[in-house]
Amino acid sequence: MNAVIRTENLVKRFGHVTALDHLNLEVAQGETHGFLGPNGAGKSTTIRVLLGMLRSDEGRAELFGADPWKDAAELHRRLAYVPGDVALWPGLTGGETIDLLGRLRGGIDRGKRDELLERFDLDPRKKGRSYSKGNRQKVALVAAFAADVDLLLLDEPTSGLDPLMGAVFNECVKEAAAQGRTVLLSSHIMSEVETLCERVSIIRKGVIVETGSLADMRHFSRSRLRATLKNPVRGLEDHEGVHDLRTDGLDVDCSVDSSALDDVLAQLAVAGVTGLTCEPPSLEQIFMRFYGDELAAKGVQEEAAR
Amino acid sequence: MTAATAEIEDGLGTLAGTGKLLRFQARRSRMYLFWWIAGIAGFTFMTIPVITDQYQTAAEREGFAATMSSPAMLSMSGPIEYVNAYADSLGALFTHRMLLWTGLMTAVMFVLLVTRLTRADEETSRSEVIRSLPIGRRADLAAALSLSAVAAVVLGALMTLAASGLEGGDGTSALLFGAAHTVIGLVFASLTAVAAQLSENGSTSTGYGLAALGASVLFAGAGNAEGDWITWLSPIGWAQLTYAFTPEQRWWPLLVAAAVAVAAVWLAFTLVSHRDFGQGMFASRRGRAEAKPGLKTATALTFRLTRGLIWTGAITLFLLGLAYGSVLGGADEFADGLSEAQQAILERGDATLQLGFATTFVAINAIVASLFGVLVIGRGRKEETVGRGELIAAGPVARSGWPGSYLPAALFTATLTNLLAGLALGAGGASGDGELFGKILIGTLVQLPAVWVVVAFVFAAFAWLPRAGWVRWLAWTWTLLVVYFGALLDLPEWAMAISPYYHLGDYPAEDFSTPALVILTAVAILLAGLGYVGLRRRNLSFN
Repeated sequence: MNAVIRTENLVKRFGHVTALDHLNLEVAQGETHGFLGPNGAGKSTTIRVLLGMLRSDEGRAELFGADPWKDAAELHRRLAYVPGDVALWPGLTGGETIDLLGRLRGGIDRGKRDELLERFDLDPRKKGRSYSKGNRQKVALVAAFAADVDLLLLDEPTSGLDPLMGAVFNECVKEAAAQGRTVLLSSHIMSEVETLCERVSIIRKGVIVETGSLADMRHFSRSRLRATLKNPVRGLEDHEGVHDLRTDGLDVDCSVDSSALDDVLAQLAVAGVTGLTCEPPSLEQIFMRFYGDELAAKGVQEEAAR
Repeated sequence: MTAATAEIEDGLGTLAGTGKLLRFQARRSRMYLFWWIAGIAGFTFMTIPVITDQYQTAAEREGFAATMSSPAMLSMSGPIEYVNAYADSLGALFTHRMLLWTGLMTAVMFVLLVTRLTRADEETSRSEVIRSLPIGRRADLAAALSLSAVAAVVLGALMTLAASGLEGGDGTSALLFGAAHTVIGLVFASLTAVAAQLSENGSTSTGYGLAALGASVLFAGAGNAEGDWITWLSPIGWAQLTYAFTPEQRWWPLLVAAAVAVAAVWLAFTLVSHRDFGQGMFASRRGRAEAKPGLKTATALTFRLTRGLIWTGAITLFLLGLAYGSVLGGADEFADGLSEAQQAILERGDATLQLGFATTFVAINAIVASLFGVLVIGRGRKEETVGRGELIAAGPVARSGWPGSYLPAALFTATLTNLLAGLALGAGGASGDGELFGKILIGTLVQLPAVWVVVAFVFAAFAWLPRAGWVRWLAWTWTLLVVYFGALLDLPEWAMAISPYYHLGDYPAEDFSTPALVILTAVAILLAGLGYVGLRRRNLSFN
């Protein structure tokens, strides 16, 4: 497996604040990788280190096997970036901005540019100062998708887009993936990541707390089990791997660790089952697990979060 | 219509919440107000003892009056009426030399303050949050102007206090001096309030305000040089025409200023009611769907983004050169009217009066030209702080291209504007005298290495200390201080030697120093190199 992005024990401090605390991230060539975390977890800082805008204090960052701090300009030829908060030049039109960004890379495919303008429904003749947040983001997205590059770095690219444009964005990412491009998609919109990404890394306080394919994450995590039984079942509350158990007469509702699923189902079968649903956890639930203590501190029950 | 909306719709309702907003804005601006007021008043408090000490006797003051009564010096200070009162009044001497400059600083303070509190907030939609509260449509403008009024009064009181230690004049002279600053503040606050309604973005609003100030300084200078009515076109001129601390002292020019301020406030409030939130009076036009072929590098973008500033600088310096040129043209006439003793004081060594003036003018042109170079570097920093540069920095562009291209843009701007000012000065001042024209041009060229040093230093500061904007401004302000006040404040030699202009030699009055030119050019190259190294090594901090 060929890694396009690799960081090893990456540390970045701003004064007394440690923004990245030994962060290890790996994105393989051709994959669409979801980068999940709430605001302030270090997503943008990681991307800016990868872009060579910030210099890491410790550890290593590699982009296409090279050092992004030393070879920034050369590496940037192979990537396109959409910042989370796109600021445009007030006196330049969207069209001028898109052309400039394309020409910096040596030229822009006119057909593709015009097609993307059409799809994103963007007026290229408006001045930067008169675009809304969503439209500013579209300018950067059109410039990025029109570029013939190997890697797309997208930092919360859809935060200002309406659902229709969100759908266009999803299509564009899928097309890019089909063309063999690598995509790093930072987001806190779970459904977007669930639709687009095969692999996901979850960042918390500057550390990657979980990384892997979505399928694996689901497999190693708890499923929600709901059953209606013929006879009451006993001993489930003490069963290892059963959480949040609620029984209401013959209705049972609980979360079960994947490892315990076998055993629990056997017990239920003994009691007799008239109805049964078993859902794998959504990405949101997986994500919330890593932030459970933080939510609890804020008075949110894990129950409610799920 | 509910009671609440009815209340907001009626006349006073558009001002609802002004009091709350005023407290909020005062809190937000307290550091800004503190530093500006402390700076202007502190500067005045500190210069008074120095000047008192230096011009103790009437004879000393009379000697100084002879050097100050030339059109050239009057254009850079104030009306001749003050000079005539030098012998009897130290206050007249002080007001004459300082009012233009403290007035200028006061005006800048209020232009920036009002833009910050009105258009800049509206542009960044900070005030959208405020407008959604039960607060009237005109309340933020009312609060901004009220806060400006309070600040102007405080500044005026401190200036009165500072000037009360000056001899000469009567009991009300110091109060008049203070009130002049209050009124200048009010005029520029209200003019900026109008400017903020016209344009959609804060930098244009600041630009209009500063353009009004530039015209004001230019008119005051041109009018004072010849003692004619042009001074009356200038708000700073009105303050000077009070003749504070002279026997001709009068209050009524301040009434003219107050009337203009009231009219501008009325206009601003009328305009607010006639436009939509977030819009200017001038709607922004649609532009090109595709970029021009030339816009394909970071450097091309930098020049495109600073185009307006380069034009502003070019026009300003051209007009400045022409204005000084007209003064220079009249230098000989002026000399004929002086006694030989007075001429002796004015002439530098063997040089004629005309060459002495030319020497002063080419130096001032260069300092103003370098200001536009400093402003270009400031634009580069702003690209970073508002995050616009992020899209460019993520492209295949080396740091030397972005933000590095702001150095060539700044050097180009400062060099071009200085040359334009020199050409205008020569064309207006030499009146067909080819030899003088040549000397003025050479004098203009001689300034360039010093201009480059200032610009390159500011660039290096931008690279190594990006957050410390005051370092960039200190560098430029110091060069200004040395030229204008170095002799007056009796600054020590080493302090004056920090300014690169100090080493050039006073050409065309005297010889210029070739080694200094070579060394200064080398220093400029060194600072530029240092700047590029710094840019390569530092983090880019976008918001």
